[in-house]
Amino acid sequence: MVLPLLSTLLSTTPTEFLKSILDPELLHSLGLTFSAAGIATLLAMATGVPLAYLLARRKFPLKRLLEAVINLPVVIPHTAAGIALLLVFGRRGLLGQVLSPLGITFTDNLAGIVVAMLFVSLPFLVNLSREAFALTDEELERVAMTDGASPWQAFWHVTLPQAWRGVLGGAVMMWARGISEFGAVIILAYNPKIVPVLIYELYEGFGLKAAEPASLLLILVALVVFILLRLALLPKNE
Amino acid sequence: MKPHHYVPSIFCLAILIGWIASGCGAKPSASGAANESRKTPLVIYAAESLIAPFTDLDKAFEKTHPEFNVQMQFHGSIQVIRQVTDLHVPIDVIASADAALMPMMMYTTDNPDTGKPDASWTIRFASNHLELAYRPTSKYANQINADNWYTILPRPDVKVGITDPRFDAAGYRALMVIALAQGYYHQPTLFSDMFKGKFTFPLAYFYENGLTTITVPEIVETVSGSNIIIRGASIDNLSLLESGDLDYAFEYESVIQQQGLQMVSLPAAINLGEAAYDQAYHQVEVDLNFQRFATVKPKFVGERIGYGITIPSNAPHPEAAERFIAFLLSPQGRAIMEADHQPLFDTFPVDNYQYLPDALQAICVPAEAP
Repeated sequence: MVLPLLSTLLSTTPTEFLKSILDPELLHSLGLTFSAAGIATLLAMATGVPLAYLLARRKFPLKRLLEAVINLPVVIPHTAAGIALLLVFGRRGLLGQVLSPLGITFTDNLAGIVVAMLFVSLPFLVNLSREAFALTDEELERVAMTDGASPWQAFWHVTLPQAWRGVLGGAVMMWARGISEFGAVIILAYNPKIVPVLIYELYEGFGLKAAEPASLLLILVALVVFILLRLALLPKNE
Repeated sequence: MKPHHYVPSIFCLAILIGWIASGCGAKPSASGAANESRKTPLVIYAAESLIAPFTDLDKAFEKTHPEFNVQMQFHGSIQVIRQVTDLHVPIDVIASADAALMPMMMYTTDNPDTGKPDASWTIRFASNHLELAYRPTSKYANQINADNWYTILPRPDVKVGITDPRFDAAGYRALMVIALAQGYYHQPTLFSDMFKGKFTFPLAYFYENGLTTITVPEIVETVSGSNIIIRGASIDNLSLLESGDLDYAFEYESVIQQQGLQMVSLPAAINLGEAAYDQAYHQVEVDLNFQRFATVKPKFVGERIGYGITIPSNAPHPEAAERFIAFLLSPQGRAIMEADHQPLFDTFPVDNYQYLPDALQAICVPAEAP
């Protein structure tokens, strides 16, 4: 684990690195990558968190099947996922045809990047949130409801305060997974370029020296953001 | 929880199935896997537009020369050369869609292992035409023809695919075609109608004294929702044409015919394919504005398309490479290229004839001085 990170760190000189972090293309790409992953995570939370709650609490027919489907993106190769998404969101795709007269397109578009990131990293949000909900005390929820709280109030005031760290941790994992997505994104939305695509293109087009600073920058920024968020989410010592 | 006990056994079963499947899928060879490792490898990197004919050549060559194991890779024409000059990958044969790239990028750079130039001769073996590919389901497909395509392509609802001019010859050639079309159809705003505002870092266009110069920035990126789609290789554009995400793509005629696509036949004065119009093609030039990374600042002058092939100086198997090139240029190779809609030249001019390996000198002729 440590060796690849260390060798990337040692691959560039400080001056080369500083020059590259001031590069407008790289900064533009970084901003695009982070915001696309952020949008994907927020969208996912709207449907993924309630879904996770449902999976934690309820039993229903075909629950196992639903769980398998949700985890599918983790198992299938991401380029295959990209092709599947193209068939759905491309201009003649199942959803693409319906949405394109409304002016919503996904090929080579921010929307396409968001969709690709969402598809491949949603399982992280759902699984971690579900575990968080499963660890909360169902008894307390029931007690709240017998005391007159609505199911929503019980969820918001009793369950969520116990589970929010796990849910947010799931969101962070999803965002982190999203910013490093490559295979699904290049098929659906190669342009505008997110950092993983830019690094690949710099490497393919101009060689190792061109790609090293950008790789290092992405690794460092992701590491810093990730550590900060995890520190914020760690429970205070009892 | 009982189901968890089964997980290790299911895992082992999955690995076993994978192992058996890979064994069943292996190519059956006369004396088994041991034979494969005794074959001489032959590493060939070729331009994407050569995928169909070179794959056929590969099969035919291995049949008549079973002692060789051909390994082919296909990339954009510039990429193919950069693998040698910038990444120093050991490659036996390089085939590019632009024979001018070899002198520009390989004769002046030295290989760090051998100390010699990366290459010193190039055989021109075939040409092509750049045309417009589309499908019956493309927008305005029932209207488009050679006289009106330039009014249809700039429309905002029409998606047009071009390969990346930094990595692929078809990319800068498409830019040349559009620049030449401006003069041919008397449409002085065509280039800006097509490209203005579509790129994060714009393409620059300059006209003076009959010469048009197009400058391509170091990072080529289309803005979100642009109707111009850029991909590194023409095969990607063909896939998008197939999925309906592209209406039109600039593509070589040989590939259009191989794929059975519809084609708008562009006039000879602009399609870069006719020797008679070579002087006219010279009126446009594409410069790649590489500041930071590349060793060479490439500059492409419009000329009649010529495909080039060479053996890099650090080729690990030069004799095998010579045999393959001789095969390509033989009557058998000629038949295969014709069947794939890319006929060979009648004679094969080579610059720096004196550096050509003896075995190939018999088949080629010295190029006339320009």
